[in-house]
Amino acid sequence: MADYKAPLRDMRFVLNEVFEVSKLWAQLPALAEVVDEETANAILEEAGKVTAGIIAPLNRSGDEEGCSWSNGAVKTPDGFPQAYKTYAEGGWVGVGGDAMFGGMGMPKVISAQVEEMVNSANLSFGLYPMLTAGACLSINAHASEELKEKYLPNMYAGTWAGSMCLTEPHAGTDLGIIRTKAEPQADGSYKVSGTKIFITGGEHDLTENIIHLVLAKLPDAPAGPKGISLFLVPKFMVNADGSLGEANSLSCGSIEHKMGIKASATCVMNFDGATGYIIDAPNRGLAAMFTMMNYERLGVGIQGLSTGERSYQSAIEYARERIQSRAPTGPVATDKAADPIIVHPDVRRMLLTMKSLNEGGRAFSSYVAMQLDTAKFSEDPATRKRAEELVALLTPVAKAFLTDVGLETTIHGQQIFGGHGFIREWGQEQLVRDCRITQIYEGTNGIQALDLVGRKVIGSGGAFYKHFADEIKAFTDSADSSLSEFVEPLKGAISILEQMTADLLERAKSNPNEIGAASVEYLHAFGYTAYAYMWALMARTALAKQGEDDFYASKLGTARFYFARILPRIHSLSASVKAGSESLYLLDAAQF
Amino acid sequence: MPDYKAPMRDMRFLVDEVFDFHTSYAALGATDASPDMVSAILEEGAKFCEQVLAPINRSGDEQECQFDNGVVTTPEGFKEAFALYVEGGWNGLAADPAYGGQGLPHSLGLMISEMVGASNTSWGMYPGLTHGAMSAIHAHGSEAQKQTYLTKLTEGTWTGTMCLTEAHCGTDLGIIKTRAVPQADGSYSLTGSKIFISAGEHDMSQNIVHLVLAKLPDAPAGTKGISLFIVPKFLPDPATGEAGERNGVSCGSIEHKMGIKASATCVINFDGARGFLIGELNKGLNCMFTMMNHARLGTGMQGLCLGEASFQGAIKYANERLQMRSLTGPKAPEKAADPIIVHPDVRRMLLTMKAFNQGNRALAYFTAQLLDQAHRADSAEAREEAENLLALLTPICKAFMTETGLEVTNHGMQVFGGHGFIREWGMEQLVRDCRIAPIYEGTNGIQALDLLGRKVLGSQGKLLRGFTRIVHKFCEAQAANPQFSTYVSQLSGLNKQWGELTQQIGMAAMKNPDEVGAASMDYLMFSGYVILAYLWLRMALVASDKLAAGSGDAEFYQAKLATCEFYFKRLLPRTATHLAAAQAGSDCMMSMSAESLAF
Repeated sequence: MADYKAPLRDMRFVLNEVFEVSKLWAQLPALAEVVDEETANAILEEAGKVTAGIIAPLNRSGDEEGCSWSNGAVKTPDGFPQAYKTYAEGGWVGVGGDAMFGGMGMPKVISAQVEEMVNSANLSFGLYPMLTAGACLSINAHASEELKEKYLPNMYAGTWAGSMCLTEPHAGTDLGIIRTKAEPQADGSYKVSGTKIFITGGEHDLTENIIHLVLAKLPDAPAGPKGISLFLVPKFMVNADGSLGEANSLSCGSIEHKMGIKASATCVMNFDGATGYIIDAPNRGLAAMFTMMNYERLGVGIQGLSTGERSYQSAIEYARERIQSRAPTGPVATDKAADPIIVHPDVRRMLLTMKSLNEGGRAFSSYVAMQLDTAKFSEDPATRKRAEELVALLTPVAKAFLTDVGLETTIHGQQIFGGHGFIREWGQEQLVRDCRITQIYEGTNGIQALDLVGRKVIGSGGAFYKHFADEIKAFTDSADSSLSEFVEPLKGAISILEQMTADLLERAKSNPNEIGAASVEYLHAFGYTAYAYMWALMARTALAKQGEDDFYASKLGTARFYFARILPRIHSLSASVKAGSESLYLLDAAQF
Repeated sequence: MPDYKAPMRDMRFLVDEVFDFHTSYAALGATDASPDMVSAILEEGAKFCEQVLAPINRSGDEQECQFDNGVVTTPEGFKEAFALYVEGGWNGLAADPAYGGQGLPHSLGLMISEMVGASNTSWGMYPGLTHGAMSAIHAHGSEAQKQTYLTKLTEGTWTGTMCLTEAHCGTDLGIIKTRAVPQADGSYSLTGSKIFISAGEHDMSQNIVHLVLAKLPDAPAGTKGISLFIVPKFLPDPATGEAGERNGVSCGSIEHKMGIKASATCVINFDGARGFLIGELNKGLNCMFTMMNHARLGTGMQGLCLGEASFQGAIKYANERLQMRSLTGPKAPEKAADPIIVHPDVRRMLLTMKAFNQGNRALAYFTAQLLDQAHRADSAEAREEAENLLALLTPICKAFMTETGLEVTNHGMQVFGGHGFIREWGMEQLVRDCRIAPIYEGTNGIQALDLLGRKVLGSQGKLLRGFTRIVHKFCEAQAANPQFSTYVSQLSGLNKQWGELTQQIGMAAMKNPDEVGAASMDYLMFSGYVILAYLWLRMALVASDKLAAGSGDAEFYQAKLATCEFYFKRLLPRTATHLAAAQAGSDCMMSMSAESLAF
């Protein structure tokens, strides 16, 4: 496996040259105070150092060792606790945290890049700070001042970690049927009892305390998702002076043996009358969770990009070094026994597919992060509303599309290595195994697709979709003729997506199954179109600067590949969606 | 782990109803393979796979093979299962009776290997490699070599390997370094190191017969200087014919892999080992290619095998797992939620799995039937016709079935949600085990080059026309069939596009040889989807006839028709993407410098 190198040049290109993000920050007073281009560049450079230097070297060994469980205690692999301490001391756990409670206060578009880097370096490791940051978001948005003051500073500082306890053995997607109970106590606290599974970071040896956010039902709660409340349940009770008290009544029953992310502890958590504190009002638990959902889902999407980026870095190095067979057009490395495999068109097809999907994903996730920042920090209600609606629309695309193409990318990266790709030592297969969970957790990609089509596109009567489509059309209408090689196929794509959207809005009226029948392919068509928009924007910038250095020539070449070889996938997707739900329901369950 | 049940109904559908193997067996003189015999063999094979192999699949993955000081120990139960397999005569099922085999058709052997692979892919590697070695010795060995080695391999007391790859070369065998120095007694002394040798060392047989590619000291450079040698782990005792003195062959280590962990993937060191030339000098690659069609079809079938195992797990789970209500109203109102099979997106995944599995099975059996014809037909013309079709279909079977097999196992895992990622449930193992299939036995990229470069363009389109003509005739014959007219015209249009696409690439490749590799993978996938469309229609026609005749089993035939419809409506449109990509040309991938790609 090649040493990880943070793709800082491309991050700066996306943020500073394509999106000119400092202009956005200047318009948002809360951000103008804390960040400008120079600060951002310095932060990214530092993050690149710590992730490449400290965290990446623990990736392979972490996979081999895995976490181990003994009598309720979980030991993370060698080097994890020290690396976590270094990471936390650098302020990276709280990079996007509220400055009022000790966070660094950086916009999402910056913490998104940090997430990309830490997850490229070591996805298993990255999950611990990510879960903590997610828990902090919920606490900060919905908990009382008292809880915030008591818990947030230590969580941002990384001395305490967080977890999100949602899933139970019988309820994953369908949280309405959870069984964990919360009994109100005289002192205003609750006693929480029940079993949660698949709890990432539920128990470990990285921090002094772990703060669990637990979904549970009050005794008199209404049935279904409207009867769920959210509780803060610390592993160790926190005294009034902030010191740690006795252990709470909760324990880790076991950890899962998984396909990948083996250094991330996936725990069964048993709550046995544990003391908890309600966050937000009773029965508002799911809503409180959803606040952080958009951030988390974008973060999971970025994990797909992260593994794809890491895979590419190794694949490009291998393709330039491995010599095998001669180029079809005649020997290239005549001094060697064979040519490096990068001369072969099919190897380039795989490399360019990876590169175009990675860089498209980086631009798109940064774009979505900017919408999140606008939604959170803009002082203009109309701007905020538009950004919120774009976030609602684009979040499921970011989660599912980036992880779906992330898996494709890591599989190409493995394929380029031939037989060596299958051997653990080379590291490429680990990226496939690690990436594979990202399509599943934080709402499966099927659920994301339903969210996109059902709740967002159809739920808004097409209004959210229109924001995005209008923006693209404004771009294509105003684009210079020198951009036509990119703009024309983008126009084609948006018109196909337009047609698909209109058809769906119409068909869903008569049969709700049409939504689920079309959703995944629709989401993919949306994703390819969104990436086409990103690639057209990047090509515009690169075209203007192509004389300056080879980086821009590389961008243009990759853009051309994307439009010629990847974007045509939308034709198949739209044809498949057109077929509707009928062919899915010809069989009885028994006939399968 | 899902319990494996051999898909007997679907196998019989293909064997009895769609391809009528019985008539072709009779025509090819395979009189032993009577319908009753075939049926009994399939049933017994199913029992063995379900009861002996499937139960040690998960445990084999957890335990893996162990290496200690040159000795490889296979997981618990593997040795015993192999002994049962040998005892049952399974190893020599399709082997030449002159050397102890049962002489049954190869196609029947492949059906058994489907069940073996679906119940335990790792375990199946050991007999699989043995069969490869058997066919190379059978085709190219001397009579004495056949008596000495083939008899033991057929019996199963000895197993075989194929030693091709070295650390610096896999695809490019022309640059191998293993040396064979001629000895006074006519044997050779082999020295070199081979890697990725499946079943290179293990504890399941008395002896291991390595077939090794090596170069003589004065051999021409490149692929034309490669010879093939038999190098046994233990030299056969001249008096008894049993395993005797230890040869200079040792296992240096085994690989730690993503999957097929119970299959020993060995580094094999030859240190002045005694070897015996097989076939002619410097014709080693040709000898290997004899068995390639068979081996590649076998590898392709691994995609089908693991896809089938995954589907069996997924369909059971989708019927049992309760989660959310159907969007059209509750379907299991007495329960807390509906089984997830009510949800359209879950059905999309299940039907994608089903359509690929059953389509791939049809492709595998169609090809297996050609393999019989190539081996057994009386007339040279019939043999050549089969060989030409095999040459075309083999790389498609290998690559298309493993690409789609990987997709299928990933869907199966996705249907399980978070549980799919947990080892205990067994679904993720199927993905890991399947992942090697697009890589070994010639990567899928190499298969695509073989298809488009060597087979299709190399024959000036002749090999392709051999197949498109079959499709064309089929479409003509069905043109007036009102029930399937839409599909027939869809297929007929794609068949035409296939030829046109080939011509376009051929013209472009005359100017620029990079055009072949630029288009090859998408060309192969396009071809695969068209072939499956043809086979799905053939299956649908049979199903429709059976339904019309009212001969019972209506549910099965209706399911065939419905899956065919799904295939045409939801999967076949993927041809549009592959067509556009294959037509996009090489400029967009070749114009960037290697440095530029590294940004």
